[in-house]
Amino acid sequence: MPLDDEAVAEIYREHGPMLRRVVWRATSDANRVEDIVQEVILRVWKQAPEADNLRAYLITTARHLIVDQHRAAGRRPQQAQLVDVAETDSALDRALDQVLVEEALGRLQSNHREIVRYLYYERLTVAETSVRVGVPEGTVKSRAYYAVRNLRDILDEMGVTR
Amino acid sequence: MTTGPDDLHALLGAYVLGGLSDDDHRAFSEHLRSCRQCQTDMGQVSGLPRLLDLAGPEGGPHLTEAPVAVPAPLLTDHDDERVTTLLAEVGRRRRRRRTWLSVVAAAAAVLIFAGGAWLGPLLLTPATPTLPTTHVAAAAVAGSQVRIDIALVTRGWGTQLDIDCEDMPTDGELALWVIDRGGKATTAASWRATTTGYSRVTGATALRPNEIQALEVRTGTGRVLAAART
Ligand SMILES: [Zn+2]
Repeated sequence: MPLDDEAVAEIYREHGPMLRRVVWRATSDANRVEDIVQEVILRVWKQAPEADNLRAYLITTARHLIVDQHRAAGRRPQQAQLVDVAETDSALDRALDQVLVEEALGRLQSNHREIVRYLYYERLTVAETSVRVGVPEGTVKSRAYYAVRNLRDILDEMGVTR
Repeated sequence: MTTGPDDLHALLGAYVLGGLSDDDHRAFSEHLRSCRQCQTDMGQVSGLPRLLDLAGPEGGPHLTEAPVAVPAPLLTDHDDERVTTLLAEVGRRRRRRRTWLSVVAAAAAVLIFAGGAWLGPLLLTPATPTLPTTHVAAAAVAGSQVRIDIALVTRGWGTQLDIDCEDMPTDGELALWVIDRGGKATTAASWRATTTGYSRVTGATALRPNEIQALEVRTGTGRVLAAART
């Protein structure tokens, strides 16, 4: 198989599932998901198959593609169903960031993820989390430290720099 | 519980996420005032809570036990089939790129300018089984070096126009005009030139592909840069 084919197939296998989730949740249009995902991969392959940060590149490309289509649809109200969830570009950006943050949480190691869940989302104390998880408080603290650092790294890698 | 000085840096995580006891919170706040390392780290992660809030009060599908609502087609494992489709498209684009480059090389050919517009290579290529796509390479007019490829994707509402441009003017506005069989021209996309001379945009028209007679890329002042007949 020529190199190009292998490269594209590899990008697709490695990043396709993540891209499908992101595009689906950002557009809520199941019919468009596979289309957009394939277009994103083809564009990235054509432009920069060797990009250092392929994941961020793919996500940025998906973002532009969705925004472009959203704008194209916006000029003609009867076609607004193309992307009907986000009313404006900024709402769309927000929706994408939301999806990416959720995706990043999914990529976090599970014992770090549960610490984020208890400390941040469930507002438990370190002591309560220690009991809930069944590890010493010191472990909760160090896991919280690595959870925060890793989450930042994952988000950077996805191009979420804010 | 007591916290030794070596453990103080590690409190950063729980300080950002919340949940520290009052004593630990106070100890870390004090430590933060004098520790360069923690100040730097803090600068990188202090925005996390705002981002975490985007995922909603429960942190989204990966944090809750509820199954993620994903439509059925996404769950079925068609990956091999999809890769095949994708690779077929890669093959087409690779061929198209060659055709396109040879067209540029032959730019002096009389044929190209004979009618002011040139008939681009018309490849009827369904991108996916459900979305018939026609690719058109718009030929640069005399004095213009632009390279433009337009994919016409048939949609229920009309035609989606995916435009790839290279070697374009680097300032001013650009627009894609669609000319119907009756000769009526309408704008289907407009965009601002980029400093790289390269852009990809998507336009839309209510016309069906067979109702489109010609496509033209024009500058904001109306100068035609490239044209294609379908
Ligand atoms: Zn420190």
